[in-house]
Amino acid sequence: MTNSEHIQDEELELNALGGLTEEEAAGLASHLASCGECAIKLAQSRGSAALLSFAAKQEQPAGTIKSELVARLRANREREEHYAWPLPANHQEDKKPKVVAEPAEAKPSSWWNWVVVPAAIALALVSLGLSWQNRRVSLALEKQRQATQALLHDREETEKLVGILAAADTVTVKLAPVGETVGSGVVKYNGRMGMVVYSAQLPEAPAGKSYQMWLAPATGAAINAGVMEKGSHWIGAVWLVQLPANTEAKAFAVTVEPAGGAPQPTGPKVLVGAT
Amino acid sequence: MNTTSTSRETTSDWSLLERIAQKDEVAFSALYDRYCALVFSTAKRILHRTGEAEEILQDVFYQVWCTAERFDQARGSLAGWLLVAARNRAISKLRRKADRTEELNENGVSLGVDMESHAAQELLLGKVRNVLASLPDGQREALECVYFEGMSHSEIARKTGQPPGTVKTRIRSAMDTLKKVLS
Repeated sequence: MTNSEHIQDEELELNALGGLTEEEAAGLASHLASCGECAIKLAQSRGSAALLSFAAKQEQPAGTIKSELVARLRANREREEHYAWPLPANHQEDKKPKVVAEPAEAKPSSWWNWVVVPAAIALALVSLGLSWQNRRVSLALEKQRQATQALLHDREETEKLVGILAAADTVTVKLAPVGETVGSGVVKYNGRMGMVVYSAQLPEAPAGKSYQMWLAPATGAAINAGVMEKGSHWIGAVWLVQLPANTEAKAFAVTVEPAGGAPQPTGPKVLVGAT
Repeated sequence: MNTTSTSRETTSDWSLLERIAQKDEVAFSALYDRYCALVFSTAKRILHRTGEAEEILQDVFYQVWCTAERFDQARGSLAGWLLVAARNRAISKLRRKADRTEELNENGVSLGVDMESHAAQELLLGKVRNVLASLPDGQREALECVYFEGMSHSEIARKTGQPPGTVKTRIRSAMDTLKKVLS
């Protein structure tokens, strides 16, 4: 066939089905690139050939495949958004369809390999280094973010503390030891705000036990006012706890409870104080 | 035509693809539901392995998601492209060739039939199977060898002991019959 002659239907059909040898297909490629008529015929033959897929036994893929795929798409989009970089207008060229090159045939080694291979290795090492550095910077940033969060939280707690101490309707309750206990404590309570701040001096809690503060309301069961351990409500030696607002307090008490606290007091009282 | 609904029966592939280009997951899901069985079954028929067929299914649809904006409706049918891409990738895997990525816009596939609804797919399924069942054994075997096993006409000739010219004629005749029934 010369380049001016059209490709025979038989050849087009085989080409569409993938039934030509690579050499035969390559021989037709240049004509197809320049002959619209043959390209259209080939597209039609490809369409007819594709319908042979209906000859396969039809099966539904597992449902998990779709969810995995969607997860992959989301990850891809997040990655694209993360690495999005403002590009100059002329960079739109990159959005044009790109032709994927056919896999190149293996060629005999040439002197170029002595340049290309070390360069590729060097590039790979640089990429590895950059990737490691990127990871290190990401970790450092994450640490900084956590430290900032902690500072913000402490500031918020301090502001609450100042607020309750400065409020005119905050009451002070001194806690006295019970029985042979050696210790003392002080509670600042603001019923309107539902905030209680307290500090206490007590011996170390027995093994497997914690000290727990309780608010005894005018009516009803004791309200947990926090376990005296380091935790989210702990500021230095002062505990700041948010309770339900507008609770009338009759007294405060500290009891010994299992480590981590209990929903209701179960152990002996060590400190008590009436409002 | 309703262009916003994701109904399998009413939204065209082209409308879905436009929305996929805008990264619309609902449209992507509708397109996947419409063609996943065909793509998966094609790959499975060629490879006979569920895991590998699932890989191809994911890769083909992943490419649709990534390059939807490049697809030119004038160049052909999306459904046809999906089937050709699945078939070619499966054959590459089967024959241990380097996996070749089919560009959405690179190779036109003109179907000339509607495959967008489930009913249309069922109709085609019946027609294609009837045609294949009606073909002489030699023609059917040649067609299956070339499409599902990725054999060239000369390989089929060696396998069947027929001259290459006979194999070509058988394939051509079988395809002519298929086209006549579907036209």
